[in-house]
Amino acid sequence: MLPVKKEQIPVFRKWRYWYLLVIGFLLLLIVLFYFFTKYFA
Amino acid sequence: MNFSRLDWTVLVFTLLLIIVYGVYRSRTSKNLEGYLLSDRQMPWWLVLLSIMGTQASAITFLTAPGQAYSDGMRFVQYYFGLPFAMVVVCITFVPIFHRLKVFTAYEFLEQRFDAKTRFLTSFLFLLSRGLSTGISIVAPSMALHFMLGWDFTVTNLIMGGLLIIYTVSGGAKAVAYTQQLQVIIIYAAMFLAAWWAIKMLPAGIGFTEALHIGGKSGKLNVITSGFTEKGFDWKDRYNIWSGIIGGFFLALSYFGTDQSQVGRYLTARSEQESKIGLLMNGLVKVPLQFCILLIGVLVFAFYQFNKAPAYFNLAHEKTMQQSANAGEFAAASQHYQQVQDEKSKTVTALGNALQQHDEAAVNQLRSQLQQEQQQAGLVRDSIKNIVKKTIPGSDGNDTNYIFLRFVGDYLPKGLVGLIIAIIFLASWSSIAAAFHSLASCTMVDFHKRLSKTPATPLQEYRWSQAYSLIWGLFCIVVAQFGYNLGNSLIEAVNILGSWFYGTILGIFLVAIYIKRVGGHAVFIGALMAEVTVIAVYSFDLLSFLWLNVIGAVGVVVFSGLLQVVFFGQSPKVKQKPAFEK
Repeated sequence: MLPVKKEQIPVFRKWRYWYLLVIGFLLLLIVLFYFFTKYFA
Repeated sequence: MNFSRLDWTVLVFTLLLIIVYGVYRSRTSKNLEGYLLSDRQMPWWLVLLSIMGTQASAITFLTAPGQAYSDGMRFVQYYFGLPFAMVVVCITFVPIFHRLKVFTAYEFLEQRFDAKTRFLTSFLFLLSRGLSTGISIVAPSMALHFMLGWDFTVTNLIMGGLLIIYTVSGGAKAVAYTQQLQVIIIYAAMFLAAWWAIKMLPAGIGFTEALHIGGKSGKLNVITSGFTEKGFDWKDRYNIWSGIIGGFFLALSYFGTDQSQVGRYLTARSEQESKIGLLMNGLVKVPLQFCILLIGVLVFAFYQFNKAPAYFNLAHEKTMQQSANAGEFAAASQHYQQVQDEKSKTVTALGNALQQHDEAAVNQLRSQLQQEQQQAGLVRDSIKNIVKKTIPGSDGNDTNYIFLRFVGDYLPKGLVGLIIAIIFLASWSSIAAAFHSLASCTMVDFHKRLSKTPATPLQEYRWSQAYSLIWGLFCIVVAQFGYNLGNSLIEAVNILGSWFYGTILGIFLVAIYIKRVGGHAVFIGALMAEVTVIAVYSFDLLSFLWLNVIGAVGVVVFSGLLQVVFFGQSPKVKQKPAFEK
């Protein structure tokens, strides 16, 4: 029986790093938006 | 509105380009898998553009700038829950759907619970998606009615008719490939409109000054806490908490359980490609939405130096001028112009103070501008009330027309045609996917499931086309009734989604995470949760984003209690279900 071919995850070794990137980027945007709001008000 | 020959040329050329490209790329197997899922052969970047195209309808591009113009940019917080939802969908939903090789998300519910739960969930989806797609057709039809002066019924029939031809003949592959081109053209045209708004600002006022003007007028309120002197305002629609929590539930339901999105990432050639498409959407959605809303702020800044209409709906303005309340309307409009003139002087002085870095003058002018802004808002509200009491069926809200009026009055020839073209393209991209998902569910969850005689692949393909046609006609009828929805259309669609999404999501959450709950309990629990959602909305107890949370939590709690109290400890899963590894 042939072994099941496991597909490569692009860029990172684990999906966990992809999830951290997405959440981390959102948090960064929220911080930037906060300062954006403060600065222009 | 003047629609020049150049505008017509740009419009026709852009639409033809899309149709020809769609037909060229639409060759696929004439069976259910080919028509509904493009033979599951799509790469991740096409899945991403397809997801984006499906989510961003014409409403997004037409009314979001207007929303920022009237209410500021806080609407962007509504999307803060989306990246979290993308992660959960990738961890939970995508592996199950790929492993089971389902056509629709609701097939999984029959494997987990029973047929009645699958039918109920699919029915709730068809109801909510059918109605909201009808409302989505209103925006482009309204734009054409406004720009070309044609009767709304005619523009509605043209828009809906073109969509039907496009979707019925195309299938999933045509939807995905044309969405790719549509999304690129749409964003390019919107950024061109933003650039033009900046270019038309007076000398000495650039992008940064425009942002200062918007900021000092309270339009750059990107992050709001929802807290007032009296504590947290549960009825405040957009703040960081309702955005992250309510938005998360809404996005999780939309991407995890709404067939119009599930159908997009099921076309991917592998589980990995589906996941990358979804995660990339989590990365780009918030910044892109921020940019679209920023266009509204730039339009606002532009109107501080140019004559802003007191009321943006040109058709209603003309009706008002010939109505019994014409005098009252004209007096209020004149009052508004006086306030605007005062505001223009303050804004010009503010621009100078900003250039000279005169902090004291900036602070003083900011307070003055905010007072004048408040006064202008009150006068506009009084104008809306006059319209409301004069024109039957209208609530006087003109948010949907703000960006269109700007396009029609100030953008150069050619660019107006391109903006009208993106209204078509954005509509086609999201509504085509919606028709397609409605047809998929009707075919797979009802027709095929209930049919006693097996059909050939070609017959199934033809039936799917027929259902696309029927749903298209249904949506045109809904659009005809939806024309008088005064609220921002983007809000109307989101509110409608929030009535059902929470319940649908709750059913899926129970299916995946609470294995002891069986079909009877979840079915009754879902009905109870739906009644609760409608009751909370009817009594106006909370802002609509919280309805998603109530629906989802309601199903989990009700079904759990029902299982324990009435249906005992069964059905403890005796053997591993097929959807588990």
